[in-house]
This record gives sequence, structure tokens and C-alpha cells, in this order.
Amino acid sequence: MNLSRISVIFYKELIDTLRDRRTLIFMLLVPIVAIPLLIIGMTALVVSQLSGLEAERAEIVLVGKEYLPQAALRLLEENKETTIRSVEAARLNEMLDSLRMGTIQAVVSIPEMFDKSIQQEAGSSIEIHVDRAEVKSKVAVSRVQEALSEFRDEVIAARLSERGIPGDILTPFEVNVTNVATPRKMAGSEFGAFLPYLIIIMCFMGAMYPAIDLAAGEKERGTLETLLVSPATREEIVLGKYLVIVVAGLVTALLSIGSLGVSLGYLVDASTPGAENLMSVRFDVSSVIVALLTLLPLAGLFAGVLISVSVFARSFKEAQSYVTALNMVVILPAFVSMLPGVDPNYLTALIPVVNASLILRDAVAGTTEWSYVALALIVNSACAGLALMFATAWFRKESIVFRT
Amino acid sequence: MIRTQGLTKIFHDNRGNEIRAVDDISFSSEPGLVYGLLGPNGAGKTTTLRILSTALRPTSGTALVNGVDVTTDPQKVRMQIGFLSWTTGLYGRLSPREMVTYFGRLYGMTKDQIDRRIDEIFDMLDMKQFAGTRNDNLSTGMKQKASIARSVVHDPPVMIFDEPTTGLDVMSSRTIVKFIRHCADQGKTVIFSTHTMSEAVRLCDQIGIIHRGRLYAEGTPNDLLNKTGMNNLEDAFVKIVGE
Repeated sequence: MNLSRISVIFYKELIDTLRDRRTLIFMLLVPIVAIPLLIIGMTALVVSQLSGLEAERAEIVLVGKEYLPQAALRLLEENKETTIRSVEAARLNEMLDSLRMGTIQAVVSIPEMFDKSIQQEAGSSIEIHVDRAEVKSKVAVSRVQEALSEFRDEVIAARLSERGIPGDILTPFEVNVTNVATPRKMAGSEFGAFLPYLIIIMCFMGAMYPAIDLAAGEKERGTLETLLVSPATREEIVLGKYLVIVVAGLVTALLSIGSLGVSLGYLVDASTPGAENLMSVRFDVSSVIVALLTLLPLAGLFAGVLISVSVFARSFKEAQSYVTALNMVVILPAFVSMLPGVDPNYLTALIPVVNASLILRDAVAGTTEWSYVALALIVNSACAGLALMFATAWFRKESIVFRT
Repeated sequence: MIRTQGLTKIFHDNRGNEIRAVDDISFSSEPGLVYGLLGPNGAGKTTTLRILSTALRPTSGTALVNGVDVTTDPQKVRMQIGFLSWTTGLYGRLSPREMVTYFGRLYGMTKDQIDRRIDEIFDMLDMKQFAGTRNDNLSTGMKQKASIARSVVHDPPVMIFDEPTTGLDVMSSRTIVKFIRHCADQGKTVIFSTHTMSEAVRLCDQIGIIHRGRLYAEGTPNDLLNKTGMNNLEDAFVKIVGE
């Protein structure tokens, strides 16, 4: 193997790749332009949804209002998120239809003589109709339930004091919950799931077009044969091309991380709910080191698999369809970071892509476990090496290289 | 000098059947002469030339290219040959100068050597005007010249042309034919393949008639006509392959 020839091939392929518009779109435009837009869009969406829910009050229909005690009605009407409307009992079915249609959010029906039953301390029940498939309906009903249980507490307190028993006998103790998570860890749990997924997919996307172009593209243009009969050996050709693909994948992923960092730090409106958590995400030195250690072998693995698939394909188009299928194979394990309850352990460390996804999730939350990073580094590097060996073997095979 | 001895290449199709693309071919060609492999499509011309250029390894038999064995020292053979095929394309995002420089570097030439060689070739082929234009923006004729320049950057003693004129217009075709003649006049060993009889007659000092992977006859165009008693090569060809 001749190092200077590898560098000649690497340098030429790098220039060729950097002049390719498709590659540049994925490598530069998506990280630098699309990701900040995505972040701004996402926060804007969250904000508009939250304020939208507030602006639009849920409508609750009361049937049998005349039997509801004044105190209970006052508690129901106190809630600012809901409006109360009363209809006569005969229109109950009509109201249930409206509930199913989503024009109202809950129907509360008070049985006849409900107020009398309370006074006489006889048992009774209130029926609430909800559409559990609708978030707004569920929220409205929980507001109704809160108001009614508060009313129930008042009734109980009144009955107890009638019997000369103090009211605080009902609350023997209180439970207070304090969140010890740092804002960064909160952001890690909220966005940590999404960021690794994005970064891994960007790493793959960045490597995708160079890989297709440098093998299947050369076949299609008829330049591969001239390269094969030049003094460059198969190993030198594969290595030169492989390294360009690794660089493309890595640069795309790192640019995406940088862009995410800048977007989260400067573009998110600090008054947005949850923004303080988000803005506490900082890509400090240790998380950048973790990202490099994780993404370098991952880019190596992607490059090896992609160039193998690409040299097998007869044409640019055929390679594209293989790579689209491959894309799904990468998306699924990358998606693992979004699943709750999947933790870094020795089993997940052995699965490429999955391990990277989990490491990046923890890095966002600032809880890196270095032994896991090391294990994943070894596993992914080994896989990248195997993929490269496989690619070299295919470049040596006449039936693959001349498969046209 | 090219010398093949019992050259055979067997492929297997999807069902595992044997296909003898090249079957026991032996011939030789001397420096300063143009040797033409003449035969219809699928005769085994491309496979033969790919073996000579070390892109494929022969199943059996061997070939010496400028005295170097393609089976034992393919790396050294590659330094001796220039290769041009009708399917050869260009790197569209590079200019002719960049592309030729790239191949010069692969052949281990220094920057000075490459620059001098490029001056020489681009002058000869009248390419100076478009040396810095990206290949994608060149006309067919210009592309053809860029391909030629690439194939001779290292001034190889042996030139291999696989159906170089297929699909070209008259002008580009003339450029190639002139260039092939020029190579032979410079004392290079030239082998080229074609399925066009007139081209073979015009260009070749020696012709090998190849059909279904076998070499049926060999000689100068006149030899072949005399041997068969025909007055044109097409009839001679049909008579030789016996169909």
C-alpha cells in the first residue's frame, strides 16, 4: 500500500465531492440552515399550542343544574379554563352527540334531588361523560373532577363539624415533592431523546451521497475501469474513497451539533415555557470529546457499509434505492434514544448505532459513563473495520466491480 | 509488445452455466504496428482487452505486456499501458487539466513531469482553450480529446483501445483514428478492437478475427483476403467464421 497514492485519491475525491451540489446540500445547507429553522419552528409550535389551549376554553354542559348546590356550582364556575352551560334533561342525548362531534368537551349530569340527598346524607352519584380520545375533553373532565372533589371535601368538613370533630382529622399528613434534577438534566430528558436521533441521521445523510457518487457513480460514468487499470491498488482506491466518505459523515454530524448548540443557545426565546431547561444544554469540552469518540467510528461504519452497497449497485439510481432501504435500518436503532426505559448496559453497548444513540442522549443530559463510551468505541470501531474489509473484498471481486 | 498464450476466461451466469467469453486465444503484436481484434458484439473482444489491461484475471493461459506477465505482476503491467474504451467517461466536476494531473500522480509522476507532459499533449490535441473548463461543460469532441490525454499522460509503451470509435460522430472518430496511427508511428505497441470492417482495413497492420471467444484467423488485411479468395473483408469474415 502506497500512502502517497491514497492521499492523491483522497484529495481528488474530496475536491470532486465538494463540487457536488447534492453533497453540499446535505453536508452544509441542512446543518447550517435547516436545523436552526427546525429548532425555532419546534419552540414556536410548542408556544402556539400552549397559548392556543388557553385561548380556547373547554365547554362543559350541565344537565340538572337546578339540583346542584350553589357551593358546587361556584367551584365549577371558578375555573378559567372552562365555561359552564346548562341544558334541560330532555336534551341529554343531543348533548352526547355534540360531545362525540367535539363541539363540547364534557357532559355532567346531576341526578334528580341531588341537593336533597346531600342534605339528608343519603348516597348519590354524578355522571360525567368524556371523550377520552380528545386531549381537550380529558383536561376539561379533570377540571370538573377537581372542583367536585373539592366540594366533596367541603361537605365532609361540614358534616364532621356538625358532629363536633375537627376538620384537620382528614389530613393526617401532607406529601411534598421536590425535583432535584438540574435544568440541564431536565432538558436531557426532554430533548435528549431527540438530539441523538437527529445527529446520527445527519451523520448517515452526510455520508450517503458521496458514497453513492464515489462508487456507483464512477461505475455509471465509466471512470471506474480506468481507475482500476491505473497503478492504484484496490486497497488504495477503497481507502482513499472511504476516508472522504468518513470525513463527509463526520463533518455533517459535527456541523449539526454546532448548529444545534448555537440554535439552542441564541435562537430560543427565553420566556418560552421550558426554555430555561433547553438553554442549559451546553456542548462543553467533555461532551464534544464524547461526541467525537462516538461519531468517528460510527461514520466509519456508515462509510464502510455505504461504499459496499454502492459498489455493488449497477447505477447511481440502483445505489440510491439500496441506500434508502439502508436508511430505515439506521433510523430504527437511532430511534432507541426516544424510547423510555432503554438504558446503557452491556447488551446495548454491543449494538452499533443503538449504543451511539444512548451515549449521545446521556451526553446531552451531562451524565456520561466513560466505561460505556469506551466499550461502544471498541465495538463500533471493530464493526467499521469489518465493513471496510468487506468493501475492499468487493472491490477486488470482478463480478461486483464489473456488475453492469 | 503483446503476447498472449492460450488466454481463456470463463464466466458463470446466474444459473451457474459456464460461459467461455475468451477461449484459448494466442496472438502477438509488435511495437510500431496496430493490431486489430475484429469481431461482432459479444465475440470476446472487450474481455480480451480487459485481461490485457489487468482489469480481469484470466481463468487460464497468460499474456505478456511489454514483457511483463499480467497474471504474476499486474501492478507492473499497469505502468506499461494506456487504456481507452468507448464506455470510458470523465470526471464531470473536474477540468481536463485536473483529471490528467490526477492520473499522472497515480502513475507516480512528479508535478514538473506532469506539467511538461500536459503542455505537450494539450498542444498536440489542441486542447489549450478548454484545459480549465469542467468536463461536464465540454462538447463530445472535447471530451474525447480529454479522454485521450488522460490515457497517455504517462507515455506508455503499449496502448489498448476498446472499440474507441463506437458511438462517436465523424469528427471525433477521425481524431481517435489519427491518434491511434500516431501512437503506432511513435513506436508504441497498439491493440484495438472494432466491429467495423472498414475501420479495421484502414487502420490495422495485423487483424485477428475473433468470434464466440475464439481466434479464427490472423494476418494482414491482404493476407486474409488472399486466404479466403474474397475481395472485401466482410465476405472474408463470413467465410472465415463459417456462417
